[in-house]
Order: sequence, then C-alpha cells, then structure tokens
Amino acid sequence: MLDLGAVSLEWGSMLTQAIVFLILLWVVNKYAMGPLMAVMEKRRQHVENEISSAERNRQEAEALLAEQRKVLDEARAESKAIIDRAVKQASDEAAKIVAEAQAATESMKAGAKAELAREVEKAKAELRGELTSISVLLASKIIEKELDEASQKSTVDKFLAQVGDRL
Amino acid sequence: MHYTLRFEWMGMVFDIPTLIMMVVTTLIVIWLILRLTRNLQSGVPGKGQNFLEWIVDFVRGIAGQFMDTKTAFRFIGLGVALILYILIGNWLGLATNVMTAHHNTADQQASESFIKLITISGTEEAELAKREIVMEELTSQDPNSHGVVVAWWKSPTAAPSVTFALAFVVLLYSHIIGIQKSFGGWAKHTLLNPLHILEEFVIKPLTLPLRLFGNIFAGEILIAFLLSLGVLGSIPLFVWLGYSVFVGAVQAYIFTTLTMVYISQQANDQH
Repeated sequence: MLDLGAVSLEWGSMLTQAIVFLILLWVVNKYAMGPLMAVMEKRRQHVENEISSAERNRQEAEALLAEQRKVLDEARAESKAIIDRAVKQASDEAAKIVAEAQAATESMKAGAKAELAREVEKAKAELRGELTSISVLLASKIIEKELDEASQKSTVDKFLAQVGDRL
Repeated sequence: MHYTLRFEWMGMVFDIPTLIMMVVTTLIVIWLILRLTRNLQSGVPGKGQNFLEWIVDFVRGIAGQFMDTKTAFRFIGLGVALILYILIGNWLGLATNVMTAHHNTADQQASESFIKLITISGTEEAELAKREIVMEELTSQDPNSHGVVVAWWKSPTAAPSVTFALAFVVLLYSHIIGIQKSFGGWAKHTLLNPLHILEEFVIKPLTLPLRLFGNIFAGEILIAFLLSLGVLGSIPLFVWLGYSVFVGAVQAYIFTTLTMVYISQQANDQH
C-alpha cells in the first residue's frame, strides 16, 4: 500500500470497492435498468402508436371532410338547378297563361266586333227592306195618282219596240 | 492529525471507515433505486419513477453525446450506478462528520489492539514510526492537543482507494470492450503508439481518480479547517458547504462523462 499520512492507497480497500461497485452495478441493472427500460420502451412505443393513430385519424377526417364538402357542393348545385328549373317553369307557365288570356281576349274582341258588324249589317238590311217597301208603297201611291193613258201608252210602245227588235 | 483504523487480511490492508462508507453509500443507492422503481408505470409515471427516469435520460444524454443511441443504451446502467454512487458519496461527507478522540488518561488506556489497528501501514518500519507518533499524541499533556482523532464518517470518494478502484473498474471495462470488438484494432491503437501507451496506462488511470479524489478531499480538508476556527469560520463554512454540494454534483457528472468518453473511444471505431 501507499501511505502518505492522510492520503493512502490500500489494496484491500480498492479490491473491496471494486467488488462492491460491481455488486451495485448488478443490482442497478437487474432491479432498476431492466424493468425501467422495459417500461420506458413500452411507453415510447405507446406514444409512437398514439401519434401514428392520431395521424391516421387526422387523414381520415380530412378525407371525410373533403368528401362531405364535395357532397355538399353537389347538393348545392343540384338545389340551384332545381330552383332555376322551377323558376323557369313558373315563368313559362305565367307567360303561357298571359298569352292564352291575351288570345282569349283577342278572340272575344274579334267575336264581339263581328257580332256588332253583323248586327249593323242586319239593321242596315232591315232598314233597306223597310225603305224599299216604303218607297214601293210611296211609288205605288204616286203612280196610282199620276199614271195616265198617255204615259202608259208611250211606255208600252217603247217596250213593244224593244221586244220587236229582239224578235 | 486524523487517524484511521485498518486491518490486514491475506496480505492486503483494509481501511475500516472507508469500508463502512462504501457499504453505506452502496446501501443508500440500492435503497434509493429500489424505492424509485416501486410501482413502475408505462403510463404516467409517479414522482419517484419520474425522478429516476430523469436521471436515466440525463445519463443517456451524456452517453449519447459520444456514441450512437444503440451503443449508448448498453452503458446507461453503468452511468446511472456511477453517477448516483459518486454523487451520494460526495454529499455524505458534507452532511456530517463523525470523529472520535482518544487520550490516554489515568483511568483509561488505549488498548493495544486499537493502537495496532491505527498503526497498520503495510510495512514494519512505517508501522513503528507511526506507533511512536501515536503514543506521543495519546499521552500528550498539551491542553491544545486533541489526542488521537479517528474519522469514522467521511465521503468515500475522499479516499483515493475508492476513486482509483472505480476508475480502474471503468477503464478495465473500456479496454475489455475494445478487445472484444477487435483485438487487432485495440492492440494497434493502444500498444504501438508510445503516446497512446502513456495515455491509456498512465494519464487516464491517474487523472480520472485523482480529479475526483482531489476535489472531494480538498473540500473535506477545508471543512475540517473551518470547523476548527469555531464561530469565526461559521459563515465561510456555510458558503463552502453550499459550494461543495455543487462541486460534488459537478465531479459526479465529470467522472460519468469521462467514463463515457473513454468507453466510447473503445466502443466506436478506432481512429
């Protein structure tokens, strides 16, 4: 051994320390590091799994969201088309109804006009007939009064002349 | 002057207070480890497990600086054992010092076996020389004399035997790793270059243990000196105790780090 008073190096102490430290190392490795490392490794794997499953879930959620968005867009476009179609149909219907009404009005107006014209015509004809009969009456009255032998003779002569020409 | 009790067995000298302290420190570390690893959870760890995991991550961080993760993984147990043993060893001497003073008085005589135990020095002449001094101090009539003071409780790391033994264990381990990896590579790197021979077999085995020993031993010497000053030394004593807590932690960290460096030099490819 090395002895410098307060500082000394003893082989026995050194050997004991080496053995004691090896025992300590064995205990630490067997009772602490082994189980602790297993537990830490298990946790590491658990965390890794959780992270990857979270990532997977996120991707799934994103895909679902995109799909939902697409479906929603489609539904929106479809509803717009339906509304447009309905609006167009309604306006067409309205235009048709208006046109029909106009046509009906026109035809009623034309009918009324024709009726009116016919009535006027009828009235005119009636009037004309009456006028004729009145004039005939009037003429017969005049003729009755003014017809004399002379004038009748000349008329008959004239007629006979005409007939004779034709014969 | 402080004395220590020793015994001889199979031609080797054993230092009793150092043996006591290394066993106490080891038991504290084992108790701590067993306490902290109760109820291990792979989910949310409890307080104790959290603390131990913090230490493991710390050591893994040290080892990971010099080796790849897979290689570093093999030496985490060694690092944790080293850092806890040295840290607790360094701090044990700060908490308290237990000393006994022995005088030869009229009604009480130091026994022959006690004198035999404190004078064991390995060689006959050294023992005789020491015995003379011890007898003189035991029988001293000087009122200022403390008699023969035996230190029972101190940092195990303040004993060179402890730090040298730890350093030899880890250096031997590092060489075993190098030889296992490739005997040719190890021999070529270690034995052929005189500078490397000096480094591997003189510088590393001296600097690694002496750095730790020197720091802790010097700390204890200063504590003993400040204690001897009485009231005057109380304020510097508290300052120095605080600083020693820091030094103890730093030295544990340095020893572990250098161990990892030396192991990595053997475990990594030789350059």
